[in-house]
Amino acid sequence: MNEREVWSRAGAAGGGEEGEPGAAAVRRVSLATALRDYGIYFALVVLVIYFSLAVPQFRTTDNALLILLQVSTIGIIAIGMTFTILTAGIDLSVGSLLAVAGMFSGVFAQKDPTTLNVFLALALPIFIGLLGGMINGLVIAGAGVNPLIVTLGTLTAFRGFIVWYRVNPIYDLQPYYRIIGQGSIGPVPIPVIILLLMTVAAYIILNYTRYGRYVYVVGGNPEAARAAGINVPLMIFSVYVISGFCVGLSALIFTSRLMAAQAISGQDFNLQAIAAAVVGGASLFGGRGKITNTIVGALIMGVLFNGLVMLNVPAPIQQMIIGVIIIAAVWLDGILRQRRH
Amino acid sequence: MSSGAAPPDGIVVRMRQITKIFPGTVAVNRVDLDIRAGEIHGVVGENGAGKSTLMRVLAGLFPDYTGDIEIGGQVVRLTNPRQARELGVALVHQELSLVPELTVADNIFLGREPYARIPGLISRSAAEAQARGLLRDIGIHLNPAAKVDRLSVAERQLVEIAKGVSLNPRVLILDEPTSSLTYQEIRELFRVIRGLAAKGTAIVYISHKLDEVFAVADRVTVLRDGHRVATAPIMEWTEAGLIQAMVGRDLSTLFPRSEVEVRDVRLEVRHLGRRGAFRHISFQVRGGEVVGLYGLIGSGRSEVAEAIYGLTPADEGEILVDGMSVLIRTPRDAISHGIAMTPEDRRLRGLVSMLSLRTNLSLRALRLLSRLGFVDQSRERAEVDRMIHALGIRTVSQTTEVANLSGGTQQKVVIGRWLMVPPKVLILDEPTRGIDVGAKAEVHAIIDGLAGDGLAVLLISSELPEILGMSDRILVMKNGTLGDEFSRREATEERIMAVAAGLTVAGKA
Repeated sequence: MNEREVWSRAGAAGGGEEGEPGAAAVRRVSLATALRDYGIYFALVVLVIYFSLAVPQFRTTDNALLILLQVSTIGIIAIGMTFTILTAGIDLSVGSLLAVAGMFSGVFAQKDPTTLNVFLALALPIFIGLLGGMINGLVIAGAGVNPLIVTLGTLTAFRGFIVWYRVNPIYDLQPYYRIIGQGSIGPVPIPVIILLLMTVAAYIILNYTRYGRYVYVVGGNPEAARAAGINVPLMIFSVYVISGFCVGLSALIFTSRLMAAQAISGQDFNLQAIAAAVVGGASLFGGRGKITNTIVGALIMGVLFNGLVMLNVPAPIQQMIIGVIIIAAVWLDGILRQRRH
Repeated sequence: MSSGAAPPDGIVVRMRQITKIFPGTVAVNRVDLDIRAGEIHGVVGENGAGKSTLMRVLAGLFPDYTGDIEIGGQVVRLTNPRQARELGVALVHQELSLVPELTVADNIFLGREPYARIPGLISRSAAEAQARGLLRDIGIHLNPAAKVDRLSVAERQLVEIAKGVSLNPRVLILDEPTSSLTYQEIRELFRVIRGLAAKGTAIVYISHKLDEVFAVADRVTVLRDGHRVATAPIMEWTEAGLIQAMVGRDLSTLFPRSEVEVRDVRLEVRHLGRRGAFRHISFQVRGGEVVGLYGLIGSGRSEVAEAIYGLTPADEGEILVDGMSVLIRTPRDAISHGIAMTPEDRRLRGLVSMLSLRTNLSLRALRLLSRLGFVDQSRERAEVDRMIHALGIRTVSQTTEVANLSGGTQQKVVIGRWLMVPPKVLILDEPTRGIDVGAKAEVHAIIDGLAGDGLAVLLISSELPEILGMSDRILVMKNGTLGDEFSRREATEERIMAVAAGLTVAGKA
């Protein structure tokens, strides 16, 4: 939706299309739509300006790249999360799955860099991510168990598995492995490039493909989707596989960036990814949400975190501030979305 | 606080020069309205005429109105629903607002539960006893301890009314109370309403359905475009006059059914059955033909349609399309064999209300409008535009959220979705429920046009005039079986009702 359409909608409210309270709703919704869609960019700009003025070190290219680097892990997971949330689902297991995928990647990244080991170190996390997503998807779509419960279960089970498998961290990874998480092309870190590519891919899928359209429809009204001939279980299954894929990719970047594989990695990544999506305006009831807004949501969280550190705000206070901001963002979004009934 | 306080002239509510402005539109424009104790006052008008808005002003839902309101001879300024309730105005909403998990009694007294002796606890037995008395007084036969989710839509509607009556109102406003009821249930509802009016309660009856207004109202007020066109006793109105007052134009074309050359059999079902729902259903629908399927709620008519469409598949019998036996287990199967169906409940099964008109319309055709999985957006826009014009869909833009469209427009979107890829068989389940008379005529014209194009149309409706006006043949179901079949010429309202009601007790209410 571009700005012109927004205003043409507002202007046409006088037509009294729906009549009764509808005409008012048309206008209110259109203004709300504008605020809802652009308010988050505004918030990001305000934060950046504020921190730039408050802390000189904040407004350096290096710091900007650092923020982007930090955001990339969560950002990629948040992309997958957005797919599940769009179908009125959720994936709580992302952090645990990241630890599993990262650990197996680390196991092979530690070994001699033979072709096979290099291949496994790079491909296994993706494969494990897909597998974990399939497990979630099969139970949710196949058995029809609530996604919150299923992924709460796998959140625990995946974590239990990886701690059982290898409780000790792996640190001595082969040097080549560093390139994914720490390398850069020109000044731009590779994780940031991967995040960008993933964002573009997700944007294209959600906005230009039939699959993307179906994701919104299934989330918006699964009954109508079924009646329209959409294979709803397959769609539900697929979004968890996408989420798993994103987790696998993120696990590779994360393990490589830290040059360490740990069973305790990613403990609250699920909450951070969900926060990015909902701060970006995605509705937990499904059918509403944008990938670009999710990324902006992740950036807002990243900027806040970085800026607060630079302001020497103690960590517990940071957590409190970020918690309040998540609630406030969703509350505000609800207000902007209110309509007649 | 009840009707006892009515002034001598019997006018309990006097509204003068009521105006309610929404940004960009005057929804109610200087309307005068008097409501008398003990009368049933019909308020009619097309969607957008302002009737619901006017009544919501009276219920205190729009504090920013202008004009004067007297209730019980006392000048009041209504600022909130609670105040309006205390003044004796009860509004029964268009959309049901009951809590399904609670009992009838719980729902009636929701928020006003009688307390038990132990402070802080509520008394279920007291609530049930009070509810039982209330239901008996107004003649509703329902168990107050029954859970609402086990009740039929009609019974829930009666609970809503009981809830309104429990406030002991001077004025009870019913907004489209019959939109999901069958003939029998409507008669039951009318009996209850008349009983209330006889006890002195003023009833405001908002409806699209003119036959109901004629059946129940004492006086009728017509609104059009926010203005009051007229108020007169029911005897002074004719149906044609009322329609003309509502739409401001002659509407002799409510049921435009042209003579069409009937073609080959497109849809045939043989001995179709599903345990507990219907059995031995056999009929044919030919190309160019509109076959009406009528039955009371619970007769199995919607279930038959859902079986043909694969929503809840049949467990015996055969479905044939163009003479070929087909297996239909899911809507996907039905679609692949050229069967389309618009659902009874367009919000529940038809629309994705937070998404755009374009997305909703193009959904069925998306497969054809995309290449390698990518939607060809310019073609999509063009095709959607074509459908918008073909069906006369009134919208600001293709990106308007469907939730912001009127009921009639929404229904056209649901129908339009299926026409984006022309089907062989179109099943329409209650295609004009809850839409105004003008939109109804348009939907009927669309149906007529589709039959003219050679489609086989199966039309399900609770409204007998619609079934009679639009169908070439009429199938009547009762108790899960096919009762009888009438040709257009031999069908009358009485004959169809006789079969539909049969020897069985019709409806549940």
